[in-house]
Amino acid sequence: MQKNTLKIGMLLSTSGSYGAVGQSMRAGAQLAIEEVNADPAAPVTLVPVEIDPGCVGPAYVDAAQALLVDHGLTHVLGLYTSSSRKDVLPLFEKNDALLWYPSHYEGFETSDNVIYTGAAPNQHIIPLARHLLAHHGNRGWFVGSNYIWAWENNRILREALMDAGGAVMGERYFPVGETNFGALVDQILRDRPDFVFTTLIGDSGYEFFRLLRVAAVAAGIDQPRVMPVASCSLSEAELPLIGAAAAAGHLSSSVYFSTIRSPENDRFTARWDGRFAHLGRACADAEASYVAVHLLTRAVAKAGDFGFAPVRAAARGLRFAAPQGLVTLDPDNLHCCMRPRIGRSAANGTFELLHEDCSPVRPDPYLVWDTVAASTPCYLEVVQ
Amino acid sequence: MKGAIIQNFRGMRALVIHPDDHNRRVLISVLGKLGLSVQPLDPQDPDRAALAACDVMLVDTDSAIEGAPQCGAAPCVPRIALIGTEAPSRLARVVREGCTSHILKPIRSSGVFTALLLAVNEHEQRQKTAREIDAMRRRLAGRRVVTKAVVEMMDVHGIDQDDAYEHLRLAAMNRRLPIDDMAREQLARSGPADLPIGGASEKQPRTIRKNASCKRRPNQ
Repeated sequence: MQKNTLKIGMLLSTSGSYGAVGQSMRAGAQLAIEEVNADPAAPVTLVPVEIDPGCVGPAYVDAAQALLVDHGLTHVLGLYTSSSRKDVLPLFEKNDALLWYPSHYEGFETSDNVIYTGAAPNQHIIPLARHLLAHHGNRGWFVGSNYIWAWENNRILREALMDAGGAVMGERYFPVGETNFGALVDQILRDRPDFVFTTLIGDSGYEFFRLLRVAAVAAGIDQPRVMPVASCSLSEAELPLIGAAAAAGHLSSSVYFSTIRSPENDRFTARWDGRFAHLGRACADAEASYVAVHLLTRAVAKAGDFGFAPVRAAARGLRFAAPQGLVTLDPDNLHCCMRPRIGRSAANGTFELLHEDCSPVRPDPYLVWDTVAASTPCYLEVVQ
Repeated sequence: MKGAIIQNFRGMRALVIHPDDHNRRVLISVLGKLGLSVQPLDPQDPDRAALAACDVMLVDTDSAIEGAPQCGAAPCVPRIALIGTEAPSRLARVVREGCTSHILKPIRSSGVFTALLLAVNEHEQRQKTAREIDAMRRRLAGRRVVTKAVVEMMDVHGIDQDDAYEHLRLAAMNRRLPIDDMAREQLARSGPADLPIGGASEKQPRTIRKNASCKRRPNQ
């Protein structure tokens, strides 16, 4: 039987300041596209149409316009920052198009034109806050890139620390791309917080990890043990960019790590390592892109149609045995039910799993139901 | 936490007064995701019971005003205007009904959380201000009575202004009454024998010397 061709837009910055993440997302999507196209039972042959906005703000709108209007596409995978997503959403609404958004983000959105396959805040910052309070203390130092991702995560963690009788010992924001952190790391080492929480992205983050480690070693402080750096975005794609001397001992909250043991993940990481080892190990953003392409294909098969409304309707409640485990697309808010996990980075570019919730957690993008204080359903200690 | 804004609306009861159409369906869906329980109501079919049992009201301004619930009949809850036509006649209603925020149609998922957060917090602020104004009005009205009682005590008992006020204040404190209520009572039963006396716990009362010279100001 002749398969229909479905063109999908790929709106990813594979160059520019956070281009490394975009390259991982592109690679994850590519693996899934190859699997779909090799599967005789799949309803379609997928053909990607790619545009690289190069991490330049205004370029995203032009790129979306080109994909949705010039190419007339209905399904687009991509975007990383929330500002770029907010910029292009009106175009998706106007053109009845669906954005498959494969990135963890700060929540407070439920667009009918977006399928969210990255973690919602109750799946990343809330579990991290619980972990930090349980294992490291309630005095934190916050460092972030100056935009919504940092502001909102810091607000949630600040409220959690206050409720626990703790304190935010310092809070500083820097422009994206800033790397002058000498005075900052000195101050942090003097203040001796229980942990440092970073929402710095891209090059800023990598330099901060390096400078803090150098200063801590010089001061004779065992920084990973006494004041670990925690993040909701640090991934396998970034550990090689930090460099071996400072990559180990950081905490990350994520629904996916390459070290998850399952037949699905063993297959996924084996294929990844064979094709994309130069991008580091497989990471959450790559896996979310991989999941998005498979969910799209399943929704098209179920709907028997490529159109916006039928595919969106078919997507509600879809289940997929992903590398991270079972992923279910919440029929109500179009975010995914996924398992929160906490990992600690190792020198070999992977994360050692410290904790995982024992079952997938329903996405709560507006944090209506999930709070740090709410009793967590059940918590699994990973015995190494 | 004092001064913290209300940002979680879990369990709130929302009444959506709007015809059954796409706008209403989008609105109900988003309010549900925000944790509210939603009751839709047709503008032509006002249900007094529903009005009484809600914590926030979202009201269509495009529907005919006739037959729609009047603001006097509705409880004092935050109101959000659902605006399609930005015509002065419709917007006047938004002002009259004291809506604390609005959503422009066509209603999309974005904007609903903002409108709800602003409406609830602004309403809270207005309620607080109204309570403060009310308390101040009452205190202002009471001031005249207090002055009258103080003057009378000065005249009758020959004490000075500060002593008279101190007696009134202590008596009010001991009986846990507002000072203006105490003053009113004092005026009602006024007489030479009726100097208000505080209870045993009061600080040492000053000696009251009848017919002693008063330190009254010339203008009193």
